[in-house]
Amino acid sequence: MWQFIVRRLLYSIVTLLILSATIFVIVRLTGDPVSLLAEAGARPEDLERIHRQWGLDRSWPVQYVSFLQNIVTGELGKSFNYRLPVSELYFQRLPNSLTLGLVATLISILVGVPAGIISAVKVNTWWDTIAKGVALLGLSIPGFWLGLVLILVFSVWLRWLPTSGAGDWRHVVMPSLALGWYFAASMLRLTRSSMLEVLGSEYIKLARLKGLPDVVVIAMHAFKNALIPVFTLAGVNMVVMVNAAVIIEVIFAWPGIGRLLYEGIFNRDFPLVQGVVVMAGFMIVGINLIVDILYAFIDPRIRLTR
Amino acid sequence: MRAVIEAAREAPLVPVAILGGLMLVAILADLIAPHDPTLPVKGANVFDPPFWMEGGRTTTLLGTDFQGRDVLSRLIHGARVSLIVGLMGTLVAGGIGTAMGILSGYVGRWVDQVIMRVTDAWLALPALVFAIFLATMVGPSMWNIVFVLGAVYWTRYARVIRGEVLTLREREFVKLAEIAGASKLRVIKRHILPNVMNTATVLASLTIGVVIIAEASLSFLGVGVPPPQPAWGLMLAEARPTLMAGQWWLTVFPGLCILLIVLATQLFGDWLRVRLDPQLRNL
Amino acid sequence: MRRSRCVAAALMLIVLASTAASLSSPAGAAARGKLVLAWHAGLASRWLDPQEHDGTATPDNFFTAIHDGLIKNQGTALFDHPALAEKFTIAPDAKSATFTLRKGIKFHNGEPVTPQDVKFSYENYRGAKADVFKKKTERVEIVDDRTIRFHFKEPFLDFAILFGTANVAAPGWVVPEKYYKQVGADGFKQKPVGAGPYRLVRHEPGVKLEMEAFDGYYRPVNVKQLVMTSVPEGATRVAMLERGEADIIYSVPGELVSRVQKLPGVTLAPVLSGSWFLEFPGFQDPKSPFRDKRVREAVSLAIDRRAMNQAESAGFGKVSGNWINNDVQYALEWPEIERNVERAKQLLREAGYPNGFDVDWVTPLPAWYSRGERLIGQLREVGIRARMQTMERGVFFQRLQGGIKEWPGVQIIFHGIRIAGSWSFWYEAHVKCGGFNSRDRLCIKELDAKFEQYERSINPAERKKLAEEIQRAILENHYLVPVFRHAFVNAIGPRVAAQKWQDVFPTITTGYAYPWEDIKLKEQ
Repeated sequence: MWQFIVRRLLYSIVTLLILSATIFVIVRLTGDPVSLLAEAGARPEDLERIHRQWGLDRSWPVQYVSFLQNIVTGELGKSFNYRLPVSELYFQRLPNSLTLGLVATLISILVGVPAGIISAVKVNTWWDTIAKGVALLGLSIPGFWLGLVLILVFSVWLRWLPTSGAGDWRHVVMPSLALGWYFAASMLRLTRSSMLEVLGSEYIKLARLKGLPDVVVIAMHAFKNALIPVFTLAGVNMVVMVNAAVIIEVIFAWPGIGRLLYEGIFNRDFPLVQGVVVMAGFMIVGINLIVDILYAFIDPRIRLTR
Repeated sequence: MRAVIEAAREAPLVPVAILGGLMLVAILADLIAPHDPTLPVKGANVFDPPFWMEGGRTTTLLGTDFQGRDVLSRLIHGARVSLIVGLMGTLVAGGIGTAMGILSGYVGRWVDQVIMRVTDAWLALPALVFAIFLATMVGPSMWNIVFVLGAVYWTRYARVIRGEVLTLREREFVKLAEIAGASKLRVIKRHILPNVMNTATVLASLTIGVVIIAEASLSFLGVGVPPPQPAWGLMLAEARPTLMAGQWWLTVFPGLCILLIVLATQLFGDWLRVRLDPQLRNL
Repeated sequence: MRRSRCVAAALMLIVLASTAASLSSPAGAAARGKLVLAWHAGLASRWLDPQEHDGTATPDNFFTAIHDGLIKNQGTALFDHPALAEKFTIAPDAKSATFTLRKGIKFHNGEPVTPQDVKFSYENYRGAKADVFKKKTERVEIVDDRTIRFHFKEPFLDFAILFGTANVAAPGWVVPEKYYKQVGADGFKQKPVGAGPYRLVRHEPGVKLEMEAFDGYYRPVNVKQLVMTSVPEGATRVAMLERGEADIIYSVPGELVSRVQKLPGVTLAPVLSGSWFLEFPGFQDPKSPFRDKRVREAVSLAIDRRAMNQAESAGFGKVSGNWINNDVQYALEWPEIERNVERAKQLLREAGYPNGFDVDWVTPLPAWYSRGERLIGQLREVGIRARMQTMERGVFFQRLQGGIKEWPGVQIIFHGIRIAGSWSFWYEAHVKCGGFNSRDRLCIKELDAKFEQYERSINPAERKKLAEEIQRAILENHYLVPVFRHAFVNAIGPRVAAQKWQDVFPTITTGYAYPWEDIKLKEQ
């Protein structure tokens, strides 16, 4: 078991190294951040100065090593545009992003899981069709469009909710709906298929044969077993929602990490983008690691394969 | 003969009809589109409404956009762009992912290690963020977007296909072929590839919708299919301020088109999944 | 000898005295209410530090609120509005400049603004054009407790313009020396302390700036709380205005202009902004069709400038004849260029292109693609067939600075820029061989020679003559083809007291709403 955990841990570290190298290279391949300052006729002298100041005159390997050092110290480097350690910016925004991500995850679970169960239990009835229809809408409406429709209806026409920004609970409603909607669809699909699989298994058939009522079979047995993959997905989805809800945060001017990332990307704020992506990577890799280890505890065969 | 009839009866009529129709529209776009999709219609104004509304006209059935271009013609030509992006993007992703999955699963050892670590790392990159960077790097063009989306979404295939291959490798017919002295390449070609195609196809049917929505999101961020080409996602992104200004037809029609294609591919995928391999329901 | 007399004669002693200063009483205490600005982009903290001005037109929106300069652009004054200095004098030989500070001016932390702070701010300035000031400055002399004098090594004719135009450079924007050293350059960007009308009370980096009227400011400040919040999506900003969540929004999307116009109590503020023009990269190449002046003229005649203005700026822009804004020094007035398709076709025939020709790419400044599409449509009518090339903003500027090798074949760049101060900044950045954005794409030798003469000259009359000659040559030869001056369309909500939009946007050198202290709210 320990061997398994150590091996998995090593894998995770290698994965994170590849991730950091990938993001390090691709942000640099998109160009020079300083050329974006050129609008109103800056001069080569000014730009050279900024290159030096931002450490961009050093070679890539040197920059990469200092990036790794910054990860190790937890500072993640200093943002070009904000002149603050990326970790500080990140944790300033994190509460907002967590709020948004949690509420959206909750919405996606509250909508997706019951609908998925109903549609699996009542498979091929009109319940199933309605649920599938909802999933379809979720999957085929881009977030920016849904967001603007929500603003138009609830802020401009009905005047119930504020358009944007963060504040009290009313500010959270629309962005989390727009964000959770898409993920609800994927939760619904997974719950449905996972339930169908479990309901079709020998073990449930046996429970039914024993004469247990349907409700008990579904609630006690099928539900429990079907939910492991569903909640794993919810966890990964939530990491994405917290760290990369770029479009929804832009539309609703939500002061979260996604918008930080968005501005970082288009301003070529290398340390900022690298830092946020590495943080997200840490979380996703971490969740996967935990899930792997848990599975290995539950099912010893897994330790041998892979 | 009976089998063919059987298959035809079983084939899902609705998705096949939608997809076939869209493809026909895409192929014949030049013939059936009433106007040039990239140029303003002579004599039309900007923001003409659809023909049944006041101020609408029958030369521009679904109205005109902010440049005075015919929305219907743009939707028709958009079918071509969006299908190419959706299908080819999926094909690229599926192609790379399947190849990597087979390589990883069948060759094993350090190849497996390298591919799986890269896959894990890239899966941990937020897809849209990754796509924005790639799109910025290669510059906007329809084919570049195809490449970008392919490069972002292949990792999902690689994981699943590898799992398939790992079990296939232990199956008897593969073992027998290996004992009989078949080369690795031959084993892959004859035994592995045909057996993972089902999984790959089902995955593909789910990916098309994701790819089309991703294209729309990239357009919203300004790095999608470049104007004046009419892609549905681009039309939706470009026209988003008009939602509030009241020109609903500029976002609703491309939105419906996207809905249609996602609907068709989903239904088709569901059918395929049940038919090809009941085990795949978990995807 | 003769020359110096000429300089003396031309450079009259400039004395500017403020009339408002002595009359006004500090009236921050009377300020009331709250004003919210919905800003259209991100909020980079580095914009809060004038010491590191990046040379773009963006940061002055922020430091006109928090900081103040000795002199600045405000209202119709291009650079010489007396601010922290109540008067200033440029020596007749342009070799020194003397500023007298107002009495009793303070920073937000209560410390007085002293000549030592001015000296520190100037000498420690590291932002755009810092090297020009460094190169030309001999020393900074503190004359007495309100007077400071800058001594130059040679006549420095552009000093006042560079010094006083907030969106060009900011060595004249005063930061408190003690505090700046204490918190450091990065710390200062988080909690800046200035001498401006508003002091920062809350800073959410990249999200929001909350400011309060500064009691110690030398002019009355009308609104108590000023909030600037970043809202990147245009439609969301309009929704904020409609709901009264924002009082001023910048950059109304073109499609929503008519909706905003109809909102009760809302005033549209279409501020004239950047000039748009065409460039033919590498036009001197023998293989380029644009080598022929007639072809360049035909392009110019093919453009329907009025239609462009109507469609792209709802008619609020201006069809001007020059590619340089007329609010800068020595800008040449030039008549509007009328569209003439027939004449354009004839010129193309004469140049040997009876059936027109193909242009590989038209590249508009990202993300102004719709005007690129319109241009292509208009060119097609005279037989010039072109395709549009789009690229992400950062990539565009990088390729611009990469020079001619990034623009092979037959290409047109459709650029739009705004630079305040002097016409020479435009030429230097966009025409001159080796210029920051022009690089090696144009390189017109005779004009560069004249420009060098201009740079060397210390005779204003000669400089003006040279400036106009160069601009005339560019326009007559169609080296650059002016298209129009577009409007930066903002909107003012019903709570703000304004008879007309100019009451809120009085400063002609900017698209932003400063001076902030002058904005008033209606009585409740």
